[in-house]
Amino acid sequence: MSSTSTDVEELPDAASASAGPIKLGPSKAQVVAQYLLGMGVALVPFAVLYNDFYWINILTFAYLMAGLASAWNIIGGFGGQFSLAHGAVFGVGAYFAGQMCLIYGLSPWLAMPIGAVLVAAIAVLISWPTFRLRGPFFAIATMAFNEVVAVFANYSETLTGGARGLLIPFRASFANMIFVERWKSTLLMFVYMAFVAGISVAIRHSRLGYYLLSVREDEDSARASGVNVVAVKLWGMAISAALTAIGGTLFAMFIRFLDPPTLFSLPEVGVKFALLSLIGGVGTIWGPLLGAALVIPLENFIRATLGGLPGVHLVILGLLLMLAARFLKRGIVGALGAIRWPRWMSRR
Amino acid sequence: MSPDFLTVKDVSKNFDGFIAVDQVSFSVEQGEMISIIGPNGAGKTTLFNMLTGQLRPTAGEVYFRGQIINQLPPHRRARLGMGRTFQIAKPLIALNALENVMIGAFLHRRPLSEARDHAYEILKEIGLASRALRRASELTLSERRRLEVARALALDPQIILLDEVMAGLNASEIEQAIELFHRLHARGLTLLVIEHNLRVVRALSQRVIVLDHGISIAEGGAEDILRAPEVVAAYLGRRREWTPS
Repeated sequence: MSSTSTDVEELPDAASASAGPIKLGPSKAQVVAQYLLGMGVALVPFAVLYNDFYWINILTFAYLMAGLASAWNIIGGFGGQFSLAHGAVFGVGAYFAGQMCLIYGLSPWLAMPIGAVLVAAIAVLISWPTFRLRGPFFAIATMAFNEVVAVFANYSETLTGGARGLLIPFRASFANMIFVERWKSTLLMFVYMAFVAGISVAIRHSRLGYYLLSVREDEDSARASGVNVVAVKLWGMAISAALTAIGGTLFAMFIRFLDPPTLFSLPEVGVKFALLSLIGGVGTIWGPLLGAALVIPLENFIRATLGGLPGVHLVILGLLLMLAARFLKRGIVGALGAIRWPRWMSRR
Repeated sequence: MSPDFLTVKDVSKNFDGFIAVDQVSFSVEQGEMISIIGPNGAGKTTLFNMLTGQLRPTAGEVYFRGQIINQLPPHRRARLGMGRTFQIAKPLIALNALENVMIGAFLHRRPLSEARDHAYEILKEIGLASRALRRASELTLSERRRLEVARALALDPQIILLDEVMAGLNASEIEQAIELFHRLHARGLTLLVIEHNLRVVRALSQRVIVLDHGISIAEGGAEDILRAPEVVAAYLGRRREWTPS
């Protein structure tokens, strides 16, 4: 299921390679087939559990977080720009949709694209200066941005309802994106994840995707190859932020209560996107999805069984990240790729 | 044959008081094969980086294809037709050789399949086709050097600037590389080469420019230049008059 063409099987020697057509990478049809297969597998738990009151909530959240991690991965993984500002991007997307809905009675379906474009523009403005910073300094600057937005949200009552929060009334309808049946929300989150994953696949197999990878690997070298490094980073950030803001809207209409501690908490939101990608396999198409599939149910399990100890799920997540950093340098995807699969199971 | 293909006019680079390149001028005609030589620290790489845009000159102008390019960033110069290699090869190590070359091929070729095919053609030309799907981190030193050249060629350049691409190669690899560069030159590509190896300098230069302490001290045909007393002095030091005590 690996999608990178960096680990495709070896070529025969040059002489026989030039004789016939050789396989330089996956064809378009193969990429699409792989994507559809992946989404089909991701839909299985929904098909099994859509009537299960306990699991459906976990599944809803897992699909949402998979989509958000996949959106982060576009700039954070492909582009190698370790943004911790995505929590703020997510929160602003959520507040925008919530307030549009409360003040103007606007359908979230309309607020969603407007919010996405708006948030993408803000993200571009913020990233322009911060993209001069490399590596950890970029991460720190974006983390600071998240904190600034959190403080601002806490104090500006008119914009966000401040610390008291915003309550979106339960008016179930398709137009309001609020459903009586939980499984409809779950399906919506699945569609979101599939949408983000689809864009991620398309980018990975496009010029922009290759340019993002080149920027991650070596900026000077990318420039010499004709890559406009700043423009590539800004495009990656804009797309990633827009998709994250859409996730924020979906979250707002699902939770229907917005307050700064929920939206801007670094361990629960901003860092979580990165963490899921790191555990699953950062910079790969399937890594962020696998990370969410593993971590979100696990987290819920820990909360349910060890709920009496506040914060214990963070301790366990921290340990998990440490173990992943030590033993799974390329995440779950990297570990799966390193397994010597039996011949009949190999890709071709 | 335009006379102002690449022109360097009184270019200087001053690093906080250290003058790395001091008022160097020369020009390169389209289709020429020129090398820049000089002892370590003579300013060759600094001059190179000013041509490719990695550094901006403190003074002077660089013209390329009738346009002043002093302030253009490297990717714009690549678009104008300038390909380069780095002295310390900078492959994109997590990508395979083919993908490394594709990054450059995307400059003038849009659909992925076309960039991929073009990149593979270049790898074939340069003798890396059998390594196309190997990660750059798995390539040997000589393969990495060839990959650098392949990446530069993927830009469909008018000129390529080679910064010591032969360093660390063995004799037969050097002969192969010389043959490759002759082939490229015969196809009309302009070559500007920084090189230490005199065998390579003789083989690859119609003209040689000698830098010493940031100053261009001589320019001319390879054989004459390599015998000129000031060039020998720059490399080996001046013979002191022996005075009996």
